[in-house]
Amino acid sequence: MEDFQTYIESGRLEQYALGELAPAEQAEVEAWAARSPEVRQELDDLLTGLGVYAEAHAVAPPAGARERILGRVLAEISAAEAPVAATPAPFAAPPIMRVSASNPRPAETYAPAPVAQRSGGWAIAASVALLLSLAANALLYSRWQNANTELVAAQNNQARFAQTSQVAERRLQNTQSQLQIFRSTQFKTVALAGTPAHPQASARVLFNRVNHRVYLDVQELPPLPAGKQYQLWALDKGKPIDAGVLAATTAAGDDLQQMKDIASAQTFAMTVEPTGGSAGPTLTTMTVIGNI
Amino acid sequence: MSDLSLISTPTAAEAVLVGRLRDRDQSAMTEFYDRYSAALYGVINRIVKDEEEAEDVLQEALVKIWHSMASYDTTRGRLFTWVVNISRNLAIDKIRSRQHRVGSRTQGLDDSLAAQRQAAPDTFRPEHVGLQEITRKLVPEQRQIIDLLYFGGFTQSEAAEELNLPLGTVKTRARTALKVLAKLIR
Repeated sequence: MEDFQTYIESGRLEQYALGELAPAEQAEVEAWAARSPEVRQELDDLLTGLGVYAEAHAVAPPAGARERILGRVLAEISAAEAPVAATPAPFAAPPIMRVSASNPRPAETYAPAPVAQRSGGWAIAASVALLLSLAANALLYSRWQNANTELVAAQNNQARFAQTSQVAERRLQNTQSQLQIFRSTQFKTVALAGTPAHPQASARVLFNRVNHRVYLDVQELPPLPAGKQYQLWALDKGKPIDAGVLAATTAAGDDLQQMKDIASAQTFAMTVEPTGGSAGPTLTTMTVIGNI
Repeated sequence: MSDLSLISTPTAAEAVLVGRLRDRDQSAMTEFYDRYSAALYGVINRIVKDEEEAEDVLQEALVKIWHSMASYDTTRGRLFTWVVNISRNLAIDKIRSRQHRVGSRTQGLDDSLAAQRQAAPDTFRPEHVGLQEITRKLVPEQRQIIDLLYFGGFTQSEAAEELNLPLGTVKTRARTALKVLAKLIR
């Protein structure tokens, strides 16, 4: 029903590949890709192209970066994975947030500095307070990390749900508009039967004489060789008029397709033409034909 | 380590790594780093143009990837596509937040030696497409647009404005260029 070529050229797929789109718009692109193999192929090409481009710029991180980065990453993820209801054990892994590269890691241990005898009591109290505070920090940090992870998961669920409902909405609209056509009394159904070469082929044209709309509903058509497309013709007093080419989904019988408007016709027929259609029908390839 | 390019790695190997990351296997993170760090660091460094900052962003990206692994949907694309987008977005956020963009808009992209340095030989991949091949296949006008869109964080309309080109031309050039690139490994 819709024109995938126009959609491919709209720039939407590039925006999708570059991550410029909001979740609802992403869902729209994915719905298109699910419906149209051409859009799917194009999108895959764009994503692959970007991947190739990204990878071509690969640069090994500077010497020593592997240990630094992996060390910090593993420390950060272990801190986040520590059990929430931990006993004061996490003392060993204080939350390491961001540490600058020039200062890789704070002093590992709190070495008991030679303290003057008299301040011993205070020093112990201060150490205990520090320990408690570290444990509490570790606990809060891991809770915060968990909350963050849950939030990301929830946002993702929401986006996925929005996507599903949008796809459903679109299908419903599609179905409703098709139903309207079938219920309308203005539409006349023209059965197209297979020619002797293709006896099993069959399709229907729904023709509205008032507003000249033409819809096509395929029951069965033989598969096409590469580079070919079915084209519908209206015959008005024996003169063939182009009524448009069939999308792959229409030819497969998945979808009702609106064809070009036809002012007047007595017969409809379908031929096999090079992709994009021809100016005049190749009569030897006629597959189905029917009179109004 | 497989010797295939990241974008065309067999999905089975990728699925194993994804599974281990989802199972919270920390050793998988090391493997992930060895496979993907050069590609991710290359993209990040090209965006932030500062080695120390690039290292910070890479670290942030790895932590984010670890925590968002549950939400990675294998049916929606390759692992590499997903992780490179996470890294790229973090890097672009970084340059936006430091208002870097206003200053460097007219400067063009940096082709410094560091940015051109290739992956170390120990990550040699026969199928890996190098910069030279890309330079050979793309005309400079195409490359300029992809650079703005991909490394500059420009939208298509912003790129059109920047280059004084009609939006339609930018779209067509970007699409043609990406399809040329995709063919390199097909």
